[in-house]
Amino acid sequence: MERLTPRVRVVWLALALVRAAIFGGIVVGAAIGLTRTDLWASAPDVLVPAAAAIAVVLAVLRLVVAWLRYGVWRFELRDDDLYIERGVFTRVRTVVPYVRVQHVDSRRSPLERTTGLATVVVYTAGSRSSDVAIPGLTPARADALQESLRGLAIESEGEDAV
Amino acid sequence: MRSLHPASIAVRSLSRSLNTGFMFFVVGVVVSPGGNGIDLLSIFGLVAVGIVVGIVYEFAYYKRFRYDLTDDTFDVTSGVLARRDRELPLGRVQNVDIRQNVLGRVLGIAAVHVETAGGGQTEVSLEYVAEDEAHRLRRQLRSGASRGDSDADDLEAGDRTAVSDPGTADDELLFEIEPRELVILSVFTIDPGASLLGGIALSFASGFDPATLLPGDRIGWLPGPETGLFVLVWGLLLFLLAAWVVSAVLTFTRYYGFRLTRADDELYYERGLLQRYSGTIPLEKVQTLTISRSVPFRWFGYAALSVETAGYAPGQSDSRGTESAIPLADADRVTELARAIEPFGPVDLESPPRRARERYAIRYLLVVAAGVGIAALVARYTGALGRWYLLAALAVLVPPAAHLKWTSRGYQVDDRYFLTRTGVWRRTTKVVPYYRVQAVLHQATIFQRRRSLASVTADTASSASLLGRAATAHDIDAERGLELQADLEERLQERLRARKRQRTVGQRFREADDGDPSDEGPSPESDDER
Repeated sequence: MERLTPRVRVVWLALALVRAAIFGGIVVGAAIGLTRTDLWASAPDVLVPAAAAIAVVLAVLRLVVAWLRYGVWRFELRDDDLYIERGVFTRVRTVVPYVRVQHVDSRRSPLERTTGLATVVVYTAGSRSSDVAIPGLTPARADALQESLRGLAIESEGEDAV
Repeated sequence: MRSLHPASIAVRSLSRSLNTGFMFFVVGVVVSPGGNGIDLLSIFGLVAVGIVVGIVYEFAYYKRFRYDLTDDTFDVTSGVLARRDRELPLGRVQNVDIRQNVLGRVLGIAAVHVETAGGGQTEVSLEYVAEDEAHRLRRQLRSGASRGDSDADDLEAGDRTAVSDPGTADDELLFEIEPRELVILSVFTIDPGASLLGGIALSFASGFDPATLLPGDRIGWLPGPETGLFVLVWGLLLFLLAAWVVSAVLTFTRYYGFRLTRADDELYYERGLLQRYSGTIPLEKVQTLTISRSVPFRWFGYAALSVETAGYAPGQSDSRGTESAIPLADADRVTELARAIEPFGPVDLESPPRRARERYAIRYLLVVAAGVGIAALVARYTGALGRWYLLAALAVLVPPAAHLKWTSRGYQVDDRYFLTRTGVWRRTTKVVPYYRVQAVLHQATIFQRRRSLASVTADTASSASLLGRAATAHDIDAERGLELQADLEERLQERLRARKRQRTVGQRFREADDGDPSDEGPSPESDDER
């Protein structure tokens, strides 16, 4: 079983922070707006602190989940299929037979480029698993993985693939 | 090269000029000079311009449109401003649909839509050709298509025919909707679009003044606060009634005269009272079969069957439910027909473990508790609810509900198919051939893990599972789930190997006694090469 590069936690934590900041901004902003205007005349005093508390709790939760995600993520190139295990709350184990692989992308977002990471995306014709993405790979590993997946997909030589 | 039916200029420009006319009407209203009021003359002028533009465009469209059916491609040249030449390999054709609206039926013309796998929209639309030309095209396109990939699939099709109809394969009538079935279907089908239409119809009927619909003279005696509630309920009732009537009428016209026939390796359906729809469902492209038994129909012993093909559900953009192979029929008959398409064995489902039932019970109890909690809060802060705690009596319903849910779920690993069933109200059984499985997912939420349960999903390429209804064995034992996952994949590989073997053997066999030159199979040259 292969693990991701530990550095991927940086990407996930950064994303979690950004999302938490956006959410917190909206919630706290709305609370402040409600107390400062006449929309809700008898707004309780605890409204803004409560909103801030909720935002902070959710942010911490997000960060914890992003941290834990690394510990759960595993993948393996097996004989006939690609096996992926992921998910902090809902543990998902996916099996993608090489016969079903339509094409393989490798992808690098700006955040991933600054941290020197890459993502490999495996597409099948299936409707739910069509975006099997393996994040947190070093660019070299991503290229190698893409190459070997491509080779394995050709080798298994499916018919129409649908 | 052929061109469209001349009447299509008239029909197309009618709908086109309605569109452009309306557009120019809006433009006219917006830009009409003089801030005060609307200049009628300039609006009418613009509308007339719009109509003329529409007619001229459609005439040019007709002049430019050419199509041709060659031995192995379907060529279409079209476009007024941007021109487009297309060649469609016949082997890639998935479905061919024919649609006819009322006007089209009067004039004897029909629209032909050709679908290919991939791409979200219809590949080629011929609007419009003569009726018999449409049927000729459909037949030739489909026969060309099945010839194109005969080496891939005709063995599968062959053993299917052997199971279902050893006799004539030509246009065998599989199913025809009976008046009783049609009436039951119409009465109990709730069309979501109908609620909107019902509302519109209602507002028309009232002359855009909802107050006239209320029996004002008869509710005068009611005391003050109740009147509002009564009016609300009355309005809601009227709205539901209108939606129901519209829905019934729509369903009736949609499925009127539904017929399903089978020609060689494809199903062919026809339906519709005012608008005629007909289309093909190629059997070799079937991904999943779904047998659904919804509650009112289940009481009458009826079921429905729908067939999903890859990347395409007939009528995605159009009315829903078009993809159903059988909208409503006797449950036994539906099963029999489903077996004619995919010969799955006797259905003997394995239930989830008993602890899944406990899980459902706890889930429902939590729902009831949440309801009581909300009611308590409402009672506390508004004083609107008197005896909020009576809501807790709903907990009595929890054990039977959990049990029902538990009994409705199950799965089976058949010889060649994976079967799953779920749904208390809408009990759906999915039949997935192993060789159609794309990926297998084993999912366990945090709550499922507490009881070491998991759900296993066999993902296919069918378009309908976009709605989140892929074949899933819910809440089975986690260990068993892992085995099932491995098993499904193993069977997929095995079936693929078997199909490949069959194919090569079939090819050799055909090469050995290949006497028919019209056969598109391996040519004599390839024989020599070997």
